[in-house]
Amino acid sequence: MGNRLEGKTAVVTGAGRGIGRATALLLAEEGASVVVNDLGCDVDGSGSSNDPADGTVEAIKAAGGNAVASYDNVATMDGGEAVIRSAVDNFGQVDVLVNSVGVLQDRMIYRMTPDEWDRVIRYNVKGTFAPTKFAAILFRQQRSGRVVNFTSDAGLGDIGRSNYAAASEAIIGLTRTVGRDLGRYGVTCNAISPLVETRLFPGSVDEFRVAQGPSPSPTERAGIGQSPPVSDWEGEGSEDDPANVAPLAVYLSTYASPNVNCNVFGVRGGSIYLYSNPEIANAIHKWGTFTMAEMDELVPKIFGKGL
Amino acid sequence: MGKRLEGRVAIVTGAGRGIGRGVAMLLADEGASVVVNDLGGGVDGVGGSDAPAAQVVAEIEARGGTAVANFDSVADYESAGNIIKTAIDNFGRLDVVNHVAGILRDRMVFNMTEEEWDGVLQVHLYGAYNMVRHAVPHMINQGYGRIVLFSSGSGMGASGQANYAAAKEGMVGFARALSRELNEHGILVNAVYPGGATRMTETIPESTQQLRQTQRQTAAAAAGATQATQGAPIMGPPEARAPENNAPKAVYLSSEACEITGQVIGTSGWPATLYSPRHVIRSIHKNSRWTLDELDELLPISLGNGLVNPVPPQAPRQ
Repeated sequence: MGNRLEGKTAVVTGAGRGIGRATALLLAEEGASVVVNDLGCDVDGSGSSNDPADGTVEAIKAAGGNAVASYDNVATMDGGEAVIRSAVDNFGQVDVLVNSVGVLQDRMIYRMTPDEWDRVIRYNVKGTFAPTKFAAILFRQQRSGRVVNFTSDAGLGDIGRSNYAAASEAIIGLTRTVGRDLGRYGVTCNAISPLVETRLFPGSVDEFRVAQGPSPSPTERAGIGQSPPVSDWEGEGSEDDPANVAPLAVYLSTYASPNVNCNVFGVRGGSIYLYSNPEIANAIHKWGTFTMAEMDELVPKIFGKGL
Repeated sequence: MGKRLEGRVAIVTGAGRGIGRGVAMLLADEGASVVVNDLGGGVDGVGGSDAPAAQVVAEIEARGGTAVANFDSVADYESAGNIIKTAIDNFGRLDVVNHVAGILRDRMVFNMTEEEWDGVLQVHLYGAYNMVRHAVPHMINQGYGRIVLFSSGSGMGASGQANYAAAKEGMVGFARALSRELNEHGILVNAVYPGGATRMTETIPESTQQLRQTQRQTAAAAAGATQATQGAPIMGPPEARAPENNAPKAVYLSSEACEITGQVIGTSGWPATLYSPRHVIRSIHKNSRWTLDELDELLPISLGNGLVNPVPPQAPRQ
């Protein structure tokens, strides 16, 4: 039990299970009053149930914390407003927003229906935007606030989930912008790209380390080498436990490190990564407009073949 | 006049003006039959006119090229299908898609309406899906295809563009995933960060441009070593900002010679640049769960060390 967030209020979307739940529990342990939001839908976004959010609220209360449940669908503007309003109504304020809601509907592009595309973009990206917008109104007025978004390395090019890949990078674009829109008001916005075993991704961390498809794999592209061998996981949980993500998420929710804004982090087991922004890796210059003949000659030579 | 796209059929969305127009003209110059798609709407996506697309078709034909105009919206799944149908009906196949169409509805995140959010995502990101989804079956049947999605450096963060940055960086993730799914079918998919003096950039207020410039400089300072060793990209004199300068790079990515897939290429100005994906630059490891005490102590001197907030807190205006 710490007191890093004593007197603060946090909203955690998708907090009924997995990473959101673990983060909500740790926020509450640190003294925050928590709005536990979960639509209680299936992995693909269909259906709804109050049980997941209620379960997390009970767990927080059993540990002596303070929480209320919210079942709003944050992929709608009304839902985004309602979940922030719930924090204000119940606890008088909002200081932290953790957007961990996410759905998955894998399909190769040539079979993906407009609905499968839309659902994944809407739930993941608009589901991050909507609560952020309404939190931002308050954050700007009170000149403080923390936003933590969740994204995925699927955005580096996973096969069979181009919708989720698009959503993941979209959330990063959103993160970098929200941090810039609100930075002057003392607000930071960062993203975490986790890899742990959850309902969305039931495989273990080790399985995901195996490269899939034509190389380079997204992992290799990201510069994540083979993790140092963790033969003996010590202490609580396992290396695949979503609770391993919570400490970083809560750290980014506190007022430590005001210089950390618009950044993307990764978590796998006991490893925490910092990602770069896209950077110019190589450039071909000419004082004038390129001709096609020059492109044909220079691009393979300088950018390299078969990237 | 070259022959790099002789016998090929290309669609360019948003080809009525600016960057899209330049790409369509050069594709036609290289021998491609081009579907010049443009809704002819305003920068904010409102309204419509046949004039811009028709004009570009006339210009292409005047230069001895082959083109047909199409005025359908990319933002709607069915109507995007009509654009692909136009290519098939007129030219019998489809080899190249350049998705350039885009709109702007800038607003700070705390003021952004649902309409502003949805509108921008629909054209850029949903437009990319709509075009690709309809085009890919034809390309798979042919065992050949080239797709270029026009993203934006704004995806790296630009104040007042939560909708635009999300849509544009989303297109990068989409292109990367597609490149891996479609490689075996001979289809290459890339994203580009274009640039140039266009109708769209004219709408950006002076104050916003200054703010973004300041933020970029702060970010450049934060990047530190990388910038110091590589220097800022050379963008050339004002005439290098002509939107046509994007075309050679986009057309290269649309050509048979191209062997690049799943990448982000900067096409702005005279140079061609290759962007690295976001990648791990620092890491800390442990064989158990981190505690908050440990992170409080370690993160500022490891992962967070030297990071510069691109927009640090400012005192309230009096």
